Amino acid sequence: MTKAGLDGHDRGLKVVSVLLRDHGFEVVNLGCYQTAMGIVSAAEQEDVDVIGLSVLGDEYRVYVPRIKNLLKEKGLDHVVFVVGGTLPPEEIDEIKKMGADAVFLPGTLIGSVVEDIRGLVNDRRRS
Amino acid sequence: MGKNVDKIKEAYREKAETAFTLSNIPIKSVYKPEDIKDTDYNRDIANPGEYPFTRGIFPDMFRGRYWTRREVCGFGTPDQTNQRLIHQIEEGVSGLNVIVDMPTRFGIDVEHPLAEGEVGAAGVPLTSLRDMESLTKGIPVGDVSFSLISSSCVAPIVLSQYIVVAQRSGQEISKLRGTIQNDTLSTRYCGMGEKTPPDLALKLSADIIEYCTKNMPLWNPINVNMYDLRETGVSAIQELAFGFANAIAYIEEVLERGLNIDDFAPRFAFYCSSHIDFFEEIAKLRAARRIWARILRERFHAKDPKSLRFRFGVHTAGCSLMTQQPLNNIVRVAYEALAAVLAGVQSLHCCSYDEPIAIPHESTQRIALATQQIIAYETGAAATADPLGGSYYVEALTNRIEEETTEILNKIEAMGGTLEAMRKKWFDGEIEKEALRYQRDIEEKKRIIVGVNEFPAYGEKFSGQRHKYSYEAEKTHIDNVKKLKRDRNKERVRASIDKLREEGLKSKKKNLIPSIIEAVKTYATTDEIIGSIRESFGYSYDPFEMQKSPF
Repeated sequence: MTKAGLDGHDRGLKVVSVLLRDHGFEVVNLGCYQTAMGIVSAAEQEDVDVIGLSVLGDEYRVYVPRIKNLLKEKGLDHVVFVVGGTLPPEEIDEIKKMGADAVFLPGTLIGSVVEDIRGLVNDRRRS
Repeated sequence: MGKNVDKIKEAYREKAETAFTLSNIPIKSVYKPEDIKDTDYNRDIANPGEYPFTRGIFPDMFRGRYWTRREVCGFGTPDQTNQRLIHQIEEGVSGLNVIVDMPTRFGIDVEHPLAEGEVGAAGVPLTSLRDMESLTKGIPVGDVSFSLISSSCVAPIVLSQYIVVAQRSGQEISKLRGTIQNDTLSTRYCGMGEKTPPDLALKLSADIIEYCTKNMPLWNPINVNMYDLRETGVSAIQELAFGFANAIAYIEEVLERGLNIDDFAPRFAFYCSSHIDFFEEIAKLRAARRIWARILRERFHAKDPKSLRFRFGVHTAGCSLMTQQPLNNIVRVAYEALAAVLAGVQSLHCCSYDEPIAIPHESTQRIALATQQIIAYETGAAATADPLGGSYYVEALTNRIEEETTEILNKIEAMGGTLEAMRKKWFDGEIEKEALRYQRDIEEKKRIIVGVNEFPAYGEKFSGQRHKYSYEAEKTHIDNVKKLKRDRNKERVRASIDKLREEGLKSKKKNLIPSIIEAVKTYATTDEIIGSIRESFGYSYDPFEMQKSPF
């Protein structure tokens, strides 16, 4: 779980990280101000199943494609990449095209986040 | 149909089960005189304009002057923000309120690796004096109240840019009205984390307060940022307590400079949230006035009644607004704004209903301003001071919030003050705990949010126009900065930076504002100035340690 760029609105990052732990996930919270390379390297080192990028604003335009490309370059295609935060709802499809496997808007309850992530990870493992 | 019959029958019988305020204070089903039997009108409530100011800081409140109607603004290039400000004036705002973008806030170069996509994204870039000139073009700075939302360590630079622009347009700075946010410590929890060195933060905030006290008596040199704290997820009580703890730290720092409390306390201002729990917010703001008056009189022995007045602006709570069924946000904002007015606010920003989707669009900001105008001119809420004063519930809640806030303040004091509590990461833990409690309440439906965990309206989407980030504006601004750096007199810039470094190495009490003003005049950039100050205090030039000083 992480944030990229300068935005420091980390309430969602912290709260979702803890709630995911409550639901049995092992969570590494990298915190704010990460670069795409920093995030992907950490994902590789920690051998994670999922990267969760928390965003507020338009920084997803920079970081979502960049993280996705780095995952490909490093042969980490099995890593599920999800994005959540204050995003324009009509851009969900575009963000998925940029490389996100799922997009979670504000107000999404943790139960559905957990369900979607587990589903994505299981699908990825099967394929 | 059978299912719907059950549903309507159930809905008909449903009871209001909420027994706790948003901050988890238990609520009785009715309040009576016995709930405030220990409250003495003259001692604890008093008439508006009289100590402890529970009912308001002026005897006539809005009959003397309305609150200032401002809407936060900042995006794209300084020219674009300038156009929006002029448009806002046409639409009837009574003050201006500008927020800086993230690269400016952190004091980093526009071409810094982390600044990509952030220039002009969540505020206006104020990279150099040139930008302040563009921002204020055609705006009579001597005649408007201008609020500059810049709370980080670059606050002295942003203020200096404003001072130079005003001076060059022939204004005496002693007559300028406005506010610089300048709550540097709050940025530790509100967006900047460890990138804010507390010792430098406190020093620079004190520099501004000292400078303005001596040179700009009508200017508010600090706007203690309780709002951003609240948005991190803390309760109404913690909002007050953490904000006051920071305010106390600034006061103590300024007193060490040899100023008297009554020299500067009258210009202290606060920036509060108004969240969705209507009565709790009103009680919170009433309690804040009483707590502040008591702290100033009992702890700091202030004598001037003006020192005891808790003057505050309100930002309706962005975090209370929802992406789902976004038009409902207009309703939420209206209640939050009404609470602020009933609580005697001095200056108000209403969120636009697209707040959880993007930064405000011109069309949505118009509704936010109209919300203020409807409250001011149509509802009658501004006609009399503290209309809820004397309500058993509101007075009991005011008492309770004062007690609990004071308890937290005592705890922080026992830890050795706000800086010590910060060092121990005590605030971090408290913030996380409370943010989690709130979220769990929503997950478990202990608290209902319409359209989120109850009453979903499937498929409803935002249908208005929305603000979009402009890469073109970012490029224009970066090109302008590059051109500025080519054209400016490099020797003058270097000399001003050298002087600043020299001053920075002197005593911590040496006020840096005059040297910052001189550097600003040479068109040294915000990042060059703060980077150099950081270095003289032993910190890296770039808070992210990715760039080196060009000097």
